[in-house]
Amino acid sequence: MTDQGIGARVLRKEDKRFITGKGKYTDDIVQPNQAYAAFVRSPHAHANVKSIDTSAAEAMEGVEAVLNGHQLTGDGIGNIICGWGITSKDGSPMNMGAWSALATDKVRYVGDAVAVVIADSKAQAQAAAEAVMVEYEVLPAVSNVLDAMKDGAPQIHENAPGNQIFDWEIGNKDDTDAALASAHHTTTMDITNNRLSPNPMEPRSAVATFDESEDHYTLYTTSQNPHVARLVLSAFYNVAPEHKLRVIAPDVGGGFGAKIYIYPEEIVCLWASMKTNRSVKWTSTRSEAFLTDAHGRDHVSTATMGFDADNNIVGFKVNTKANLGGYMSLFSSSVPTYLYATLLSGQYNIANVYCDVQTYYTNTVPVDAYRGAGRPEAAYLIERMIETAARELGVDPGELRRQNFVREFPHQTPVIMAYDSGDFAGNLDQAKAAADVAGFPARKEEAARRGKLRGLGYSNYIEACGIAPSAAVGSLGAGVGLWESAEVRVNPVGTIEILTGSHSHGQGHETTFAQLVSERFDLPTDNIQIVHGDTDKVQFGMGTYGSRSGAVGMSAISKALDKVEAKVKKIAAHVLEASEDDIVIEGGEVKVKGTDKAMGWHEVGLSAYTAHNLPEGMEPGLKEGAFYDPTNFTFPAGCYICEVEVDPQTGVTEIVQFTASDDFGTIINPMIVEGQVHGGIAQGIGQAMLEHAVYDDDGQLLSGSYMDYCMPRADDVPSYTVSHHSTTCPGNPLGMKGCGEAGAIGSPPAVINAITDAIGNNNLSMPATPSRVWAALQQVSAAQAAE
Amino acid sequence: MTKVTMTVNGKARSAEVPDNTLLVDYIRENLRLTGTHVGCDTSQCGACVVHVNGQAVKACTMLAASAEGAEVTTIEGVAAGKDDLHPMQVAFKDNHGLQCGFCTPGMIMTATDMVSRYKEAGKTLDEKAIREELEGNICRCTGYHNIVKAIADGASKMA
Amino acid sequence: MDMSGEYRIAAPIQTVWDAIQDPEILRGAIPGCEELEKTGDTEMAAKVSLKIGPVKAKFAGEVTLKDMVAPNSLKIEGEGKGGIAGFAKGGADVQLVEDGNETVLTYQAEAQVGGKIAQLGSRLIQSTAAKLADKFFANLRDELEES
Repeated sequence: MTDQGIGARVLRKEDKRFITGKGKYTDDIVQPNQAYAAFVRSPHAHANVKSIDTSAAEAMEGVEAVLNGHQLTGDGIGNIICGWGITSKDGSPMNMGAWSALATDKVRYVGDAVAVVIADSKAQAQAAAEAVMVEYEVLPAVSNVLDAMKDGAPQIHENAPGNQIFDWEIGNKDDTDAALASAHHTTTMDITNNRLSPNPMEPRSAVATFDESEDHYTLYTTSQNPHVARLVLSAFYNVAPEHKLRVIAPDVGGGFGAKIYIYPEEIVCLWASMKTNRSVKWTSTRSEAFLTDAHGRDHVSTATMGFDADNNIVGFKVNTKANLGGYMSLFSSSVPTYLYATLLSGQYNIANVYCDVQTYYTNTVPVDAYRGAGRPEAAYLIERMIETAARELGVDPGELRRQNFVREFPHQTPVIMAYDSGDFAGNLDQAKAAADVAGFPARKEEAARRGKLRGLGYSNYIEACGIAPSAAVGSLGAGVGLWESAEVRVNPVGTIEILTGSHSHGQGHETTFAQLVSERFDLPTDNIQIVHGDTDKVQFGMGTYGSRSGAVGMSAISKALDKVEAKVKKIAAHVLEASEDDIVIEGGEVKVKGTDKAMGWHEVGLSAYTAHNLPEGMEPGLKEGAFYDPTNFTFPAGCYICEVEVDPQTGVTEIVQFTASDDFGTIINPMIVEGQVHGGIAQGIGQAMLEHAVYDDDGQLLSGSYMDYCMPRADDVPSYTVSHHSTTCPGNPLGMKGCGEAGAIGSPPAVINAITDAIGNNNLSMPATPSRVWAALQQVSAAQAAE
Repeated sequence: MTKVTMTVNGKARSAEVPDNTLLVDYIRENLRLTGTHVGCDTSQCGACVVHVNGQAVKACTMLAASAEGAEVTTIEGVAAGKDDLHPMQVAFKDNHGLQCGFCTPGMIMTATDMVSRYKEAGKTLDEKAIREELEGNICRCTGYHNIVKAIADGASKMA
Repeated sequence: MDMSGEYRIAAPIQTVWDAIQDPEILRGAIPGCEELEKTGDTEMAAKVSLKIGPVKAKFAGEVTLKDMVAPNSLKIEGEGKGGIAGFAKGGADVQLVEDGNETVLTYQAEAQVGGKIAQLGSRLIQSTAAKLADKFFANLRDELEES
């Protein structure tokens, strides 16, 4: 047997090109006769565009064209859409405002593009963009969701009165109200989930080429889902019909959700390539990325959790206001609804859950999915609530959780989800043991002797991944099916190419997907090539987000492998004159069990393609495809324990220990899974302690660079203790649940629960910066002084 | 326009470039050595780190003209041969110190520089020191855990 | 952030009042002012070069004098576009009080910026604006006292 199958810590096949500087990212691509695009962006958060004077810019050296939104819409380029329809409580559809890739009459956030310059060089394009004179009539702006909903707030879209996009609900309100009214104890909190900028390290980029002779477009772009990009660019934005548009996402330097969407710039580059008959390249600067990449989170919630006299949770009620920015991005409506409120039962058996969500436009960049997308907001809410309740009830927070855990599966929650598997107590026990929770009081005492405040916090998260059963999401408003496709090509020499609709931008698919094949056919991973990210090579695919590439993408490959395996066995049985049932594949051979009759794996491939001796009626070749549509969401879950030390003099918090016990179902490559958890936890720590996308009241982005937006650096985070306690997912052939988002979902509440435990003040918002922690400590001293 | 001449990865290179051309743009656009990346525009992220006369430099903070006559090494120049990678490159792979790969070249260039400096000064490069030395390099994927391990591993293997 | 100040100027109130409306004097007083021309009774076109944090930009804009109550009070408003750098707007309410042969000038200023200047230099805007406002009135005093 090869040692490269499922469960092996195989080193990554893709690494060599990255460690030698040979990765091929979009900005590395140069096309013949390439021109550069520079966008003219609004410095105002809200303004009417009175006029655009391009004459000076057009006269500048090297300028090919200066194009505006009226030309764009005049050429029939369609508005950018949100692909998930949400219905309000009263049955009305959501109020989606028009979003043109280049604004025509009105700009709605700082960075909204009004024109584009195409020039011979980047410098010429930028200089000319500066010379485009735009006259704005500045309007009052609103950047914060609580202001946007006020009477008299500036109106951002005509078709969204009061700036409201929808008012949606889930669960049973009357039952939940009744349960809370009769509760023995209730805990109520106002909880804000801070706005974040995703910040994949590779900025977005696009290189568009229009070939006039073929009437054909090629787009290289930084996408997590090139087929979805092609579909939307064709079907909704009318750039070109699908068969005349090839989208390639080459090496992509991180996504985290921000590269799911089709942004104005890609549309404009394609269109401008046609207008100028040149290849057009645009690469975002980091400053542009802060202004224009979809942000994440930004919820303001009020929640009440009720307990009976035995500390069982009897009801949970939540109201959430979500800021969706100046326009509705591709999946923006699903994030604060079906990806969020459906997880509000957490790991707990709660009979009554109700949540209503109001979403609003503001004069800020659109808000959409960022690693976790809705589920971090749910986990933060429920895990802060239960920790707080434990403190109020005077019980151990781990034990309060344990007593309320869901223990029997399947478990139907009051908010749609049917959990299929899990062992929440097992994860809690594993994490507690690894974190030595029993030794915490002694560590706290020792820290106190050094003048430090030590605290410990739990988070028992659950998420819904493997997104998602097409019929189910369709009934909830999704505009697409969320299956995945795969094709397995066995070449005449026996090497294998796997074509997948999943896209790897750091996840290591070239290795893990090859491991799946290695496991099945007992072949070394070197003989297996993964092909992805090119709509001309892969027929279709929904891409990578929602931790779906394993549970959905690999399930599709597995189904295609089933078909290949069956054909291989048929061919071998025919050639070796044996029964198909007696054929086994191992050690690079296809054998008849219990005999010495065998043919080499490559000989089977050759037989299939020479077709000299195939079973009667069998088609030549060895290539099979499959589409896999999941039967349910998957439910990764786990327990995270964070231990911190706070310096009471400065408010500086150090994470001294971070322990994770995750249940991801089947694990293909533990090394890669651990890496995913590490990265997710760091992003969660970033949200909890460092990161905050801040707009001022006029809609100016104040955290617009790495000088002001605090990314986690190596000395902000600890080494992590990561372990697994897994149950098999019954919903897919591989038993996988997904691991991509867990770290970012589970970690923020653990961090804040630990800090608030340390400082003895629960009044602390993310990000818990030293100044906020210090201020919270001053409240404690003031309260003590008053007593 | 300015004529710049420098040795890049052991080869003499020269070109006429606009006076304000950054070293990173010269490396990427003129020399087509695209392993050196641009991740920000405020000299914070470290994706563009190269060695200039043996010292780690953010190539976005330096004009090409300022590197006149210098010895420049980029990620493409650190391996001794096609199948003879630098120990730090091997350590990043062995320790899964990279995911999307975008920050990786800058990380490796920073790492080899840090190891050399500590060795020269006779100082111990422990985990705390590695984390502090990585202050100028941002990674969004790995949470730094395996990068720190990789650098410690690579340091132990660098002669 | 304190954006107000007081200056005692060794000149009669009418001289100060006239000076505030004199493009020649204003050109010398506005920090970084490269050009200033009268375009109407109370309007002037200006070119000003400013550095806020890491962003250095040349602003083309207008200076307007409003709410004029001679010779005691007026509002000076300025608005400039800095191209890709964004925009800057500011204003100051100015009061003049006669004190013998001297004049006491007090002001309350406000400033707002947008675009790249806000994005990159937000931490420095308040302090920069306060400094610029103070510099303007100090320059004005110096010009008057020298002339």
